[in-house]
Amino acid sequence: MVAASAMPQALSAVWRPLLTGIVLIGLIEAAKRGHLLPVFVPAPSEVVMEVWNVPRLVTANLGPTAWKAFVGYCIAAAIAICAGSIAVSLRVLYGPIYNFGVMIHSVPIIATAPLLALWLGTGPQVQIAIAALASQFPMLVGTIQGLQAADARQRELMHVLAASRWQMLRYLLIPSALPYLFAGLKIAAPSAVLGAITAEWAGAERGVGAMMLYALFSYDTPKVWLSVVLTCLLAGGGFGLWALVERFAIYWQRDVEIAD
Amino acid sequence: MSRDIQIDQVSMVFYGRGEPVIALDKVDMHIPAGQFAAIIGPSGCGKSTLLRLVADVMQPFAGTIALGGETPAAARHAHSLGFVFQAPTLLPWRSVTQNIELPLDVVGRRSARRSARTTADLIALVGLRGFEHALPHTLSGGMQQRVAIARALMLTPDILLLDEPFGALDEITRQRMNLELLRIWSESGTSALLVTHSIAEAVFMSDRVYVMSARPGRITSIIDVPLERPRRLEMMRTPVFFDCVNAVRDGLFGHEMTQAAGQGQPVEAY
Repeated sequence: MVAASAMPQALSAVWRPLLTGIVLIGLIEAAKRGHLLPVFVPAPSEVVMEVWNVPRLVTANLGPTAWKAFVGYCIAAAIAICAGSIAVSLRVLYGPIYNFGVMIHSVPIIATAPLLALWLGTGPQVQIAIAALASQFPMLVGTIQGLQAADARQRELMHVLAASRWQMLRYLLIPSALPYLFAGLKIAAPSAVLGAITAEWAGAERGVGAMMLYALFSYDTPKVWLSVVLTCLLAGGGFGLWALVERFAIYWQRDVEIAD
Repeated sequence: MSRDIQIDQVSMVFYGRGEPVIALDKVDMHIPAGQFAAIIGPSGCGKSTLLRLVADVMQPFAGTIALGGETPAAARHAHSLGFVFQAPTLLPWRSVTQNIELPLDVVGRRSARRSARTTADLIALVGLRGFEHALPHTLSGGMQQRVAIARALMLTPDILLLDEPFGALDEITRQRMNLELLRIWSESGTSALLVTHSIAEAVFMSDRVYVMSARPGRITSIIDVPLERPRRLEMMRTPVFFDCVNAVRDGLFGHEMTQAAGQGQPVEAY
């Protein structure tokens, strides 16, 4: 597909889920007004009123969480891409690095967050660290898979051309790694947000996670739901941003991307 | 400049699980500079392996290969080799022009020993004018392979190595591509070594056909093709052409044919 038809296509991809969402919200609203829903399910309008009444609730909590998730994500991306590159170029370290990535990925965050708070102190550093730990794995795998994606023929071609190691990397290995890397970056973004929010439960003054915890303890269901909506917005936004960048960066696979 | 290809007593053994496989057994070959030679043989006779040895993708187990008096490694580092694979092997993120210019990027555009031929000339030569900025996935298989040929010619190689370059194409496109390839080859003046499965193609294209047998890979016969250049499709109807085709066929199936004649059995050959 050429760029000219990309916009209408993006629109048609958006309007269906949007319509479904609006209808669904409308139905819940109607059901609540008709007293068909239990007391702990708030009407969507109540959630919106929370924001309307106290806008500071959103502005004061969304920013810190987004910022901490972003910093943790960037640190994780830098480390995962470096570690992945080392794993591919030094076969001896392939196993150890991969296994270490799996191990960190399997650690339950909810248990380690308080421990990290003890070790690192109760500041943003805990949430940043947890966001990094929670999001590293897809990016590590993406880097490792991606740098191995070039096929044997393509490598032979570069060899016959007498390409140096650096040229091999620049002209073949990095471009063929990009689709895998983008997949990893995309999947890791929501993980970083969820990691930061879970870490906020272990002690944070501000943030969506903190707001969620306070709301839970005070049985303030509209506020709980608001924090859920904010989490979804952050996580989905991170994913969507990368999907958008990917769409333009991986131009040679755009047709394939749309097809699936 | 053009280089001759001198292959002396080259053997190749692959060690896998189980018995070591002798892919090539004391192969001798000499292709004079500027000539077109073809290797034909059944699957597994080591013809692709031989091509990879010449291209310095692998090292021979025994024996020596000299390309214009130099080792394959030296020839490769001098950017004297053009290799066309079975599959086009294009880089999907590069346009037609960028794929053809890949060798220039590797050698360095400034130091590249540029012939009179520019990228535009090459694109015209392989008949892809108007597709300069197309990405590979928008092209047909035949067009992709033509890009691969243009790329192999970018640095005007001394030796062109062709590993069943049109194996995946239909007969009609293949015939047309062969004619184009011959035209391009005669204009560039390089030595060429073609690996193929087709008897007619081997005879039509080359000055000399090497017939190989499988397990172990050996050269069983050498057929010189006395057809004049430039080759034309009508030549495929001449007695000389048929004689050569029959000679190659005898080389490939001779053993089975004499056996079958004794038993009065029909011979399965194409």
